[in-house]
Amino acid sequence: MSAATMATADRTPGTRVPTTIVHRVSVPRVISSEWIKLRSLRSTWWTLALTVVVMAGISTLVAWGSSQGLDGEGPATMSVVTLITAGRGMAELTVAVLGVLLITGEYTTGQIRSSFAAVPARLSVLGAKALVLGAVVAVASVVGMGLAYLTTMPWHDRLDATLDLGDGETVRILTGLPLYLIGVALLALAIGALLRRTAGAMASVLGLLLVVETVFALVPLRFFELVSPFLPATAGQRLLMDADTMALLDATRDAAHLTPWQGYGVMLAWVAVLGAAAAVLLRRRDA
Amino acid sequence: MIEAHGLIKRYGPTTAVDDMTFTVQAGKVTGFLGPNGAGKSTTMRMIVGLDRPTSGTVTINGRPYAAHRAPLQEVGSLLDAKAVHTGRTARNHLLAMAATHGIARSRVDEVIEMTGLQTVADKRVGGFSLGMGQRLGIAAALLGDPQTLILDEPVNGLDPEGVLWVRTLVRYLAGQGRTVFLSSHLMSEMALTADHIIVVGRGKVLADATVTEIIAGAEGTSVRVRSPRSGELEDLLRRIGAQVASTADGELEVTGSTAPKIGEVAAAAGIALHELTPVRGSLEDAYLQLTADEVEYHSTAVGRPTDQPAAMAAITQGAAR
Repeated sequence: MSAATMATADRTPGTRVPTTIVHRVSVPRVISSEWIKLRSLRSTWWTLALTVVVMAGISTLVAWGSSQGLDGEGPATMSVVTLITAGRGMAELTVAVLGVLLITGEYTTGQIRSSFAAVPARLSVLGAKALVLGAVVAVASVVGMGLAYLTTMPWHDRLDATLDLGDGETVRILTGLPLYLIGVALLALAIGALLRRTAGAMASVLGLLLVVETVFALVPLRFFELVSPFLPATAGQRLLMDADTMALLDATRDAAHLTPWQGYGVMLAWVAVLGAAAAVLLRRRDA
Repeated sequence: MIEAHGLIKRYGPTTAVDDMTFTVQAGKVTGFLGPNGAGKSTTMRMIVGLDRPTSGTVTINGRPYAAHRAPLQEVGSLLDAKAVHTGRTARNHLLAMAATHGIARSRVDEVIEMTGLQTVADKRVGGFSLGMGQRLGIAAALLGDPQTLILDEPVNGLDPEGVLWVRTLVRYLAGQGRTVFLSSHLMSEMALTADHIIVVGRGKVLADATVTEIIAGAEGTSVRVRSPRSGELEDLLRRIGAQVASTADGELEVTGSTAPKIGEVAAAAGIALHELTPVRGSLEDAYLQLTADEVEYHSTAVGRPTDQPAAMAAITQGAAR
């Protein structure tokens, strides 16, 4: 409509009949909105692509490197699962960045005010974000492992690496990597929602994963030794370890020895506690 | 209809909104006028539930904003043109907002067209000019075809064409019977668009009246009189209780009386008058008088009457009517 037709419109208060069909806000609608938001940002695709690439890239490097050391010696055995989950340490950083940006990007740009004006109940916004984030991280990690399998194939024979999908431990590790990365991403989302600033949240999450957990794991202080198994990433990583590695690690430490699923449970407990704190503040604070 | 009762918002020791009570009537354009820092934006954010009042309540059509099942259908708000992720395109921003209320893609196209964003709809918002950002904010406000619109400084940063467009749009939307509540620190804008004005300063409601009443409150605050016998007239007028100031040779500025009264006094004494002019205030004068004591940052007065309690009283009476 042109400005001219607007100007000539007569004022007839109270006679307007709404013509646009509008439905009430519901959880599925909020999820579809969050999915549109997630896929319409370039940073999403960059971080997800990077996740897939580092997983395949590191696995390939490990396969190539391991095969180099074998010259003249007998074949070493390395499981395919160990090989294709080798990029875990890098992939957790990229998904953490995605998790943080998903929420702090809204606060730093002011988008959060539009989001909360549309969904004043607020909590479903955070919940929907967690859901779509978990879904894309799961897909990216499965794709990453698949690609890693393909790119490491040339070395499988030489490394005598086999994949036995009937083996319980293999299946546990294969499903464990997506679950672990989802845990890291949700942890990052919760910390992002608590801190609201990209720089602060990024520093906290990466500081926790790269510095705090490493210091607790390596510094031989009794307190650190006791606490270390219960830090979120350290606990969650139990899900990705084969029995030999776990036994080797536990032999060096006189502290709690969590089973793989206990470890993941501890990680989820961190996510739940931080997520609950974020949810409470989300409702209380001014947007 | 928007009803605010005893709204208070404190940020630490600062009180941004200090016990505001007002009603925005349905089907009218109500202006929310006040200097920068008067608490307009904070109040508007509290109306749509973004900020939590320290105390007091505010309802829209009888319910708090958050209690509405489809809030975008009740109220469309432009609170901040920068309430959009800079990395997303305008269309995707609108699609994401529309998705929360199950609003069809065709409505998104409609509001894009309505606000003239067709050519930039698929560009990322980060590159938008202030004017385009403002248009996108208005497009988002119109998405749910709401009965009530809340627009915070909608003409801020717009070029003359954009200002005219917003003005026309606001009249058009009001013409459809919608309630429009818009804020501005520019009084001239209000005079052109609003039916009713709520004047605020330092978080308080200073006046709540129609545009006509507010101007009336400032009108006739003084009368300019010229006479060859101004000295004698001055004495006579003082005797009837008027305040008289001699502004130039043979010219008087009279307050506290009216032009007819001054004319009669002069006629009775046989004094010829060369001029007898009620000095009409504008909405701008009324606004400046009202907010003179309330602006947070004063500039040095440049020859403007700043303290006229009579006008203030007149407007307060107007508000009470």
